[in-house]
Amino acid sequence: MPYWLEAVIDSFPYLLSGALITLEITALAILLGLLIGTFVGMARLSKKRWINAPATVYVEFIRGTPLLVQIFIIYFGLPSLGIYIDRFPAGVLALGINSGAYVAEIVRAGIQSVSKGQYEAARSLGLSHWQAMRYVVLPQAFRNILPALGNEFITLTKDSSLVSVIAIEELLRRGTIVISRTFQSFSVYSAVALLYFVMTFSLSRLTRWVEKRLAIP
Amino acid sequence: MGGKEAGDTMSVLLEVEDLWKSFGDLQVLKGVNMSLKPGEVLVVIGPSGGGKSTFLRCINHLEVPDRGRVVFDGIEVKEGKNINLIRSKIGMVFQQFNLFPHLTVLENLILAPVKVKGMDEVEAKDKAKKLLKRVGLLEKADAYPSQLSGGQQQRVAIARALMMDPKLMLFDEPTSALDPELVAEVLEVMKTLAMDGMTMIVVTHEMGFAKEVADRVCFMDGGVIVEEAPPEVFFTSPRNPRTREFLSKILGV
Repeated sequence: MPYWLEAVIDSFPYLLSGALITLEITALAILLGLLIGTFVGMARLSKKRWINAPATVYVEFIRGTPLLVQIFIIYFGLPSLGIYIDRFPAGVLALGINSGAYVAEIVRAGIQSVSKGQYEAARSLGLSHWQAMRYVVLPQAFRNILPALGNEFITLTKDSSLVSVIAIEELLRRGTIVISRTFQSFSVYSAVALLYFVMTFSLSRLTRWVEKRLAIP
Repeated sequence: MGGKEAGDTMSVLLEVEDLWKSFGDLQVLKGVNMSLKPGEVLVVIGPSGGGKSTFLRCINHLEVPDRGRVVFDGIEVKEGKNINLIRSKIGMVFQQFNLFPHLTVLENLILAPVKVKGMDEVEAKDKAKKLLKRVGLLEKADAYPSQLSGGQQQRVAIARALMMDPKLMLFDEPTSALDPELVAEVLEVMKTLAMDGMTMIVVTHEMGFAKEVADRVCFMDGGVIVEEAPPEVFFTSPRNPRTREFLSKILGV
């Protein structure tokens, strides 16, 4: 067996468990991003300035600065302010906060895609603002934005490779470690790429499936 | 109308006083006054842009009026903790039906009673089925709105509003978005409702309905109520020239 292949096969279990860590980080960051994005997206549409202004600043700032810099600020920058966060939660936090800004814009568009009459009908029945959002507007908005959200989650999966710079042993970091031992950069990085692809492709299939399941007749 | 003796105010369900509303530079309502007794059916007609819809939407504060007040069942309607409770007692039916497309007919009906009133779900479903039967759509309980015709959707929307046991029903051009052949089934349901004693304000262009069902008809134009009279007077001897002109246009006389 050629060495380039042997290097990949021998290290495969090690890479695979790195992929699991990637999945774990991504899943947690998706949840955080969804949570932040849903509230910020709603806040962006608020007529009250003290609610929509901070939301706008957040979205613009996060979208306007590199994710890598955001990761550095949270992991290397915060300790100089006396705030220490372990590398794993720091990575999740940076990715989640970053994704939240993009999700917020998607959610905002989603809410705007639901006709105003839906909200009014809900309010006319006596539902509060939050109930109208929770039971009437958001369920429809999320159906409409599912494809866009799927896209965002795929981007996030790939972007999670950036946290390798703070030495979280996710897929890319483990690939680099294997290469430093075997010097087989082409085959090992290709294996890493393949594993990312398996994850993103599954994710895109999963979104499709959810989309179909939730489709309104 | 006999003024404001004590006995009179007791029997008033809705009192609208000097309602003003503008959108930007556009003054839509310019001092609307109206009062409604329990069981009365008021039909509002008039040209589009005359303020009919805005007037209706100001009653349950879907639009917040710039000036004036609305007193419903002895309570002033305004933003605050009460508003959801007040709205739940005022049913509203929209031109575009506004059924919730992601919920089945039955789910559309029980959402508000369960979430707003805390009604038990089984009880709510029972009630929903009774109301669906009343509007002739029991067999559509598990259908989604998109699977219904416009007329059926509007009947469901009426049933949905009735789920909250409203004391007043507002109809905002309920048949204007319907194909002509579907108008009758909706008007029929509204007629039955009126005969059962529901207090109603109906904005409509259906003059037949106004003549047959209304206790009073009012003509609204330019943000004010121009003329108000019982239908037999309103349609035969309108006093105001603007009313006459409008009637002659739409009745083709």
